[in-house]
Amino acid sequence: MDILANFSQGLLVVLQPENLMYCFIGVFLGTFIGVLPGIGSMAAIAMILPITFYLDPTPALVMIAGVFYGAEYGGSTASILLNVPGTPAASITAIEGHQLAKKGRAGVALFSTATASFGGGIIGMVVIALLSPFLAKLALSFAPADYFAVILLGLIAASAVSNGGALKGIAMVITGLMLGTIGIDLTTGVTRFTMGVPELRDGIHIVIVAMGLFGVGEVIASIRATRSGTATQTVDYSDFYPSKKEWKSLFAPILRGGAIGSFIGALPGTGQTIAAALAYAVEKRVSPQRKDFGTGVVPGVAVPEAANNSATQTAFIPTLTLGVPGSPPMAIVIGALMIYGITPGPRLLTEQPDMFWGLVASFLVGNIMLLILNVPLIGIWVRLLNIPYKYMYPTIIVLICMGVYSLNNNVFDIWLTLVIGVVGYVMRLFRFEPAPLLLGFVLGPMMEEHLRRTMLLSRGDPMVFVTRPISATLLAITALIIVFALYSTARTHRRALAARLGSSRKEQPNEL
Amino acid sequence: MNQYSNEPEDNGQGELAADSPAGATGWGGEIGGVLLLVLSVIFMVGGWQLGLGVPTRLGTGAFPFATGAVLAVLALAIVIAERKGDGLAERPDWIGLLAISASLAVFAIVVDRLGLVPGVFATVVVASLPDRNLSLRGKALLGIIVALGCWGVFIELLNLPIKPFLEF
Repeated sequence: MDILANFSQGLLVVLQPENLMYCFIGVFLGTFIGVLPGIGSMAAIAMILPITFYLDPTPALVMIAGVFYGAEYGGSTASILLNVPGTPAASITAIEGHQLAKKGRAGVALFSTATASFGGGIIGMVVIALLSPFLAKLALSFAPADYFAVILLGLIAASAVSNGGALKGIAMVITGLMLGTIGIDLTTGVTRFTMGVPELRDGIHIVIVAMGLFGVGEVIASIRATRSGTATQTVDYSDFYPSKKEWKSLFAPILRGGAIGSFIGALPGTGQTIAAALAYAVEKRVSPQRKDFGTGVVPGVAVPEAANNSATQTAFIPTLTLGVPGSPPMAIVIGALMIYGITPGPRLLTEQPDMFWGLVASFLVGNIMLLILNVPLIGIWVRLLNIPYKYMYPTIIVLICMGVYSLNNNVFDIWLTLVIGVVGYVMRLFRFEPAPLLLGFVLGPMMEEHLRRTMLLSRGDPMVFVTRPISATLLAITALIIVFALYSTARTHRRALAARLGSSRKEQPNEL
Repeated sequence: MNQYSNEPEDNGQGELAADSPAGATGWGGEIGGVLLLVLSVIFMVGGWQLGLGVPTRLGTGAFPFATGAVLAVLALAIVIAERKGDGLAERPDWIGLLAISASLAVFAIVVDRLGLVPGVFATVVVASLPDRNLSLRGKALLGIIVALGCWGVFIELLNLPIKPFLEF
């Protein structure tokens, strides 16, 4: 088996002490940051990114990936114990998990989470190993027009489902594309929108955008929410392991959740939250315990967690084989790779096999580490949740400052982070999500380049986008998503308005 | 300022506002759309001035102009949707916003003039100012601990070329 040989090659790479160490640091820091409520995996990756610039590409990638799935994992711990999801996807885990915790079975919930996460992660890894070489081969036949279409599809798919509604999500993507043009135009060498500031000539660094939008913005937004103090929950170790019956009830949900998660995760623009939500919805219909869903059942915790973790892994498929990130964290991965001078795309598999297969193998190693970190050592994380946020957030701010400052040792970057952070916070107030903006920001330059190449190759004829079968198909899917998203946004809008006017006559919105 | 004390908001939706970021209280939601419209116009004008080029060779300004144009349409749609819909934005936490912004500014100013250790110390103290649960002594202590920690990790361990103290 070709894949087995490749995989064992990757295993050799990741088992080198250096890579092993950074894999551990990654999952450890990821869990650490993910456990803290309000700080998601995006902020976690953004904070770790400056450190990875001191490493070789392979350990750096392994570490970033570890932070990503570690944070997604840690998010569920907070959501089970406090009902404060550490990450958005964890809110699905919280539905059943917090009910279990309330029944005094937090230990069982945490244990199921760990098992399901591991199972889902392994399923996701197998899917990557099987699917990536195939997809990379297919992608070799992509023309610039097809790339343009696939990027557009990814951007639209990712933004159309954002919380603030399709319109705002797409507007944020476009804003990101615009901000991505700041700096020197690589094709013509002309500087754009730098306002004469020399520091902006190379564009805004992705770390600054990510730290501002996700680090600073999230801290400001979470100060008020967490000022009310934290609830404490003790985990009873005598009730940590599930009963035999519950053990058996875990297996099928993990397989189902893992399968749904790895499928959803591989699609551009979907992400863990959708994977977890969909898997939970499916399980609610097919589970033999479906009647008890909502009251705290073990399969209800396992399914979203398995889906979440497998989606986290398969998100790397489009990222590494096409060079098109399906979700904002993957956009950061792309950004990091480009800083190393590695262009993610179909050639990555053949040109950097050690890196690719090392990463895939690191999912196995990292998930085993997570299992160790979270089953015997769960007490550490529970205690961490009891550290008041008042000690945490000033420290997080300092880490953000250090990360940004270490890029160029230039305080201009700090001022820029400040501006972007305030903008990010204001965006939140108006219910604009920062994630699509970052995605657009990273993909903007790529998209522009493919657009230019396409137009050059077609001698200025834009029809090429609809005459090439691949790009035509992708653009048709994109159009369908837009229509569907706008329709459903308008519908929920009307419903929300009707509900609002119906239920709360006494507090009319004051500008109407 | 009721953001500062943790009192429930006074619109009958208090619990929602305190617990979830979606808690909206009387703010014009359409302002967000207007701001985007301004931004889009800036990029359209800028793109136009940079030159759109010809279809075969798209100019430097073509992409910014095109994205600006799309954004302008979307921004208008947002303004209309917000006016028709509930059109509410969340009320800002001014204290938090001010403290965190000030802490970043303090970092930028102090690190350049006095060095890393005083910079980190000042950043922590300023960032923790809105927290009433932490005494001033506690804030100073936290500042000292984090500052020394940064010295150890970033300068001694990671060898970043930053001076712990500068002479002035």
